Amino acid sequence: MYTLGIDIGSTTSKCVLLKDGSEIIAKSLRVGGLGTKGPDSSVNDIWESEEVKKAGITKKDLDRAIVTGYGRRNYEGGDGEVSELTCHALGARFVFDGLRTVIDIGGQDAKIIRLSEDGRMTNFVMNDKCAAGTGRFLDVMANILTVDVDDFTKIAEESTDASPISSTCTVFAESEVISQLANGAKMPDLIKGICSSVASRVAGLARRVGVQEVCCMSGGVAKNGAVRKALEEELKVNIAFDPLAQHFGAIGAALWAYNEHMRKSKSANK
Amino acid sequence: MLDEMLKKFHEVATSPRAQMDKYMKEGKEIVLTAPVYTPEEIVHSMGFVPMGAWGADIKINRAKEYCPAFLCSVVQSILELGINGTYKGAKAIIIPSLCDTLKSLGENWKYAVDGILFIPMTYPQNRKPDFGIRYTKAGYERVIRDLEKVGGKFDEAKLAKSNKIYNEHNQAMRKVDALIAKHPEITAAQRSDIFKSAYFMLKEEHTKMVNDFIAELEKETPEADKLNIITSGILTDAPQLNEIIDDLGLHIVADDVAAQSRQYRTDVPEDSDALEALARKFANMDNCSVLYNVEKPRVQWIVDTAKERGAKGVIVVMTKFCDPEEFDYVPIKKACEGAGLAVALVEVDRQMDRFEQVRTNIETFRDMLMM
Repeated sequence: MYTLGIDIGSTTSKCVLLKDGSEIIAKSLRVGGLGTKGPDSSVNDIWESEEVKKAGITKKDLDRAIVTGYGRRNYEGGDGEVSELTCHALGARFVFDGLRTVIDIGGQDAKIIRLSEDGRMTNFVMNDKCAAGTGRFLDVMANILTVDVDDFTKIAEESTDASPISSTCTVFAESEVISQLANGAKMPDLIKGICSSVASRVAGLARRVGVQEVCCMSGGVAKNGAVRKALEEELKVNIAFDPLAQHFGAIGAALWAYNEHMRKSKSANK
Repeated sequence: MLDEMLKKFHEVATSPRAQMDKYMKEGKEIVLTAPVYTPEEIVHSMGFVPMGAWGADIKINRAKEYCPAFLCSVVQSILELGINGTYKGAKAIIIPSLCDTLKSLGENWKYAVDGILFIPMTYPQNRKPDFGIRYTKAGYERVIRDLEKVGGKFDEAKLAKSNKIYNEHNQAMRKVDALIAKHPEITAAQRSDIFKSAYFMLKEEHTKMVNDFIAELEKETPEADKLNIITSGILTDAPQLNEIIDDLGLHIVADDVAAQSRQYRTDVPEDSDALEALARKFANMDNCSVLYNVEKPRVQWIVDTAKERGAKGVIVVMTKFCDPEEFDYVPIKKACEGAGLAVALVEVDRQMDRFEQVRTNIETFRDMLMM
């Protein structure tokens, strides 16, 4: 059985094709989320991928597709839609055994999800009103510093004394970074300070639901080692990372599609 | 028949101005009653039609001249409607002093709105002791004096009659709330209409409508169960919010909402002095973020009500910048979680037109309850 998970975020679109709810056949990621060509391109990438062609799978073999993410309700290429928090919890648990906390920092919001011992979602909290503590904050800062956000991890490693960013608002923090640049702050120190600032906001959110190991990060910001390290220092826990972190939502959606299809097949056979 | 009745509730709930015009055409005069608790019984007994003024989902523009951005949007939208003439024709507005923002609304109203008299109702912090009851009664006497300035006449016997009319309405509202809890086919939107329409009708008329509705609903066989929840907050009348609750298959089996059931929990006690009795009613009221009580019985009330009505979780609908509700949220969350009830917190305000994040939040909450 093949199921597809489509995660349409605010800045990227991700897809995962799953076999029998246990094996990832193909995955894709395109820049461009809701309202762009990103979702369609990401789905096409799956069907055009070498892995899918090699396995001889076609669109006709697909049993069910579930859409998640911010753009889930406006995309017509799926059989249903599920909240991204539910999918991130499912997807992260698929990758990490014994997972109890998911810290998901996406392009425009941050979410913390608590799981029970048996993997059920028991609590969650969202920051959906403010760009501080999200990927958007890092993008804005990268733009001012004319540095690629993907290089933040490497540059921050050279820091000897992180520059503190005290403003709680992205717009004010932007002015603060410009002032620090004018005062001669070093680039690695500034970038480390920016990453610590994101970690500090997210840690505040995480403490509201409580953080328990095994704890992992999901979403695009998970790739940023400097943010992960700063979060570990703030929360005093190890933050697990997997290169699939940005695809956890899509994996969860594909898993949901698998479970739903199994449930429907069982009731049809009764 | 039921559909016709629900349609009528919806019509009234969504067209307060038409209701106001209808009453004015009948020669009646309107007095606006602002949140959270105003002595409507007095207004009613003095020959006016009390009309709820809880603001509206509008873009706030002129009110910004008087209010900082961090003021609750319910209050800001009331002021906006006052300035832009939506309440034109009303004789007065009674604004209670139950939170800091409401206090500032009254002061701003005096300067910003022409032709509608501001009547303050100053409540005591300690409303239960005798001195608190005397303080409340003095506040009501001040309201009476101000209403006399705009043509009202006070009569103790008429107040006793109005107290009875309001008690009957309270009973009807409590009964309809309990009945809807057993009928999942009544949607959150329809439930909201029933409660909201009460603000724009004379209570004796609304009581009749509600009692007729109860009689019809009692004949119906309840449809299949949905996922039972309770709501808590100041306001939950946003159509998009109710649409989400309905879309996700949730059934509101009780509420702790200031604009809904909190209004109808307490009756005016029997007393030979009708005004004293009304002050005692306020003393007896409880379980609300703006009614001071150091013991916070509201917290346990939510837990007990959720259990009694078979709710699996609580959606706290937080009106942005509402300090009293924000203070209460912490013990509510703790108590609910301690009792095995899931809690979702969604933030709303009167200017919101995008509810996608609210949908994600409530959808996740629903998934959590189903897992």
